[in-house]
Amino acid sequence: MSEVVVQTLHAAKSYTRGRLSIAALSGINLEIRKGETVAIVGPSGSGKTSLLNLIGGLDTPTGGKVIVEGTDLSELSDDQLSRYRLRKVGFIFQFYNLMRTLTAIENVEFPMSLAKVPKKEQRDRATELLRAVGLQLRANHMPDEMSGGEQQRVAVARALANNPSILLGDEPTGDLDSKSAKALMDLLRSLRKDRQMTLIFVTHDPLVVARCDRVYAVRDGKITKEFTKKDIESAKLSEKYDNTMLEGIY
Amino acid sequence: MILVLLSLSTGTSTQTSGLLRNLVGAEITVVNGTTPTFPGGSGGFPGTGGSTGGFGGGGFRGLFGAGNTLNESVVDSVEKVSGVYAVSPQLTTTGYVDGDATFLYGIDPTTYANVTSGLNIASGSMLSADDTDNPIVLSTTFASELNVTVGSTVTVGPNSTGGSSFFVVGTYNPGSTFGPGSSSAYVLLPAAQSIAGQANQVTDIYVKTESPGLVSSVASLITSTIPGVTANTATTVTGAASTLTGTLSTFFTVIGLVALMAGGFGVINTMLMSISERTREIGTLRAMGATKGEVMRIFMTEAFVIGLIGAGVGVLIGVAVSVALPYLSGSAAATTGGFTGGFAGAGGALRGGLETALTAGNLLLSLGLGVLVGALAGVYPAWRASRMSPVEALRHV
Repeated sequence: MSEVVVQTLHAAKSYTRGRLSIAALSGINLEIRKGETVAIVGPSGSGKTSLLNLIGGLDTPTGGKVIVEGTDLSELSDDQLSRYRLRKVGFIFQFYNLMRTLTAIENVEFPMSLAKVPKKEQRDRATELLRAVGLQLRANHMPDEMSGGEQQRVAVARALANNPSILLGDEPTGDLDSKSAKALMDLLRSLRKDRQMTLIFVTHDPLVVARCDRVYAVRDGKITKEFTKKDIESAKLSEKYDNTMLEGIY
Repeated sequence: MILVLLSLSTGTSTQTSGLLRNLVGAEITVVNGTTPTFPGGSGGFPGTGGSTGGFGGGGFRGLFGAGNTLNESVVDSVEKVSGVYAVSPQLTTTGYVDGDATFLYGIDPTTYANVTSGLNIASGSMLSADDTDNPIVLSTTFASELNVTVGSTVTVGPNSTGGSSFFVVGTYNPGSTFGPGSSSAYVLLPAAQSIAGQANQVTDIYVKTESPGLVSSVASLITSTIPGVTANTATTVTGAASTLTGTLSTFFTVIGLVALMAGGFGVINTMLMSISERTREIGTLRAMGATKGEVMRIFMTEAFVIGLIGAGVGVLIGVAVSVALPYLSGSAAATTGGFTGGFAGAGGALRGGLETALTAGNLLLSLGLGVLVGALAGVYPAWRASRMSPVEALRHV
């Protein structure tokens, strides 16, 4: 067994809306090991995105601990959390969130400029990353000139810019057709292998779930079930859009 | 906008000071305080000097009669007043050059240029104090009226007949049809005194002070310490003109400030709009690892660049308008009169139109203000952007 990369201990998150305190997450305990591909599934409002945000250091828990590579994120300052996101985490989003005024290669260079990587090295690394996602010929295109699948691949290259150890995706295939979604997942799996990364996705997509090593099902702010690779395979969840397992989860 | 107003404002004050210089020619003019006085050498005359034919010699005599001169000894007293930098005496009289009536100015060329703007020599040379050959300098207009050139000899005397021979050493541009009259002549002070029959007398003593700020205090010191004299300053002479320029200046400044504020709010609004449109982008920036400070810096830089581009474009338009305005207003004045005509009338402006002055200072000030307002207006939106919670910002659709 490889080392534990992400660990949560009774992690909780609640929001206050006026006088009301709404619990988004309560008592979350999970462990994710290096190199694993993990899906977090659940109905909308279940708290799955909140969980991803805690792991990604975009938000801090109101209770419990979130420990990533031995560091308790709840003890970090805002600036330290920013540094953590910059160095350790790559995010990909449902709607890609590329900077529309920058070309593909400039988008990939952006996180490196935040990390103060020398200009020359930025260009070299960005070119290499675009090649890795198969977009070397699109380097100087604007996001609006590219398809959804291509934009998401640029977003993946951007997420990998500072060699993160964890890649987080919030519905990464949510806006893609099944062919692009499959291609993206294959790409992510091969990148994970090359780079020893840990992949964590929030998803509804059976295509994504089918390619994960483990699945956490979240409901009402709690983890209700955990499925292993064996469960996923035996559920025969495949590219036939068999939703049996997901239905079982919900 | 700002630049146009600034250049207009500077232009009008330049116009007015140019006028004052022509009127007075010096910061302070000391005259005999016991008789009615006239500012400067020729200031009493409105508009152009025109042909000398219209003036009768007797009339000049009446204006500059024996009663309102000062003894030359006063020159030394004035020079000793504290704050005085230089003095130069002048005797203004009338005479006839080759039978044509004219103003004759007797000056001391060694000190004259120290206190006044001097003569704008067109051909030949300025008078020289060492020249014992009765030198005379004529205005270009007068020289062509008399049909004489440098090197000619003319007869100058108090009456239309007779007089002594003078040698034309140079001609000068009157600068304008106003000011030292277009038909006038300069001779050495002793020559003027002998033509006027007023030995050792002067009509004006021009004074330059050690610094422009001292003008009014030195003038009152002269008036109070030297008996029988009055010191006129440019301000007392042209107070009205200055007030007019001042009012115009204030008017332009107020319009400019309003424009600047409108521009500032424009930038604030644009930035706030852009921030609400780009909320998700801010969320993405934060997710990628940008700190609050970095987000703030990114948006501040953007506001600064917007300000710089805006100010740059504004300055270019301003330069174009400032250059074009005098031409436009010049033709407008000819047909409609109105504002420009009114100004020309009030100030005796020479070109009959608005004058603008583009100085490096005006340009830099306009550019600087534009950028400053842009940057300042960016502070609040940038601060708002940086304070946004990344989770909320990312959720924004």
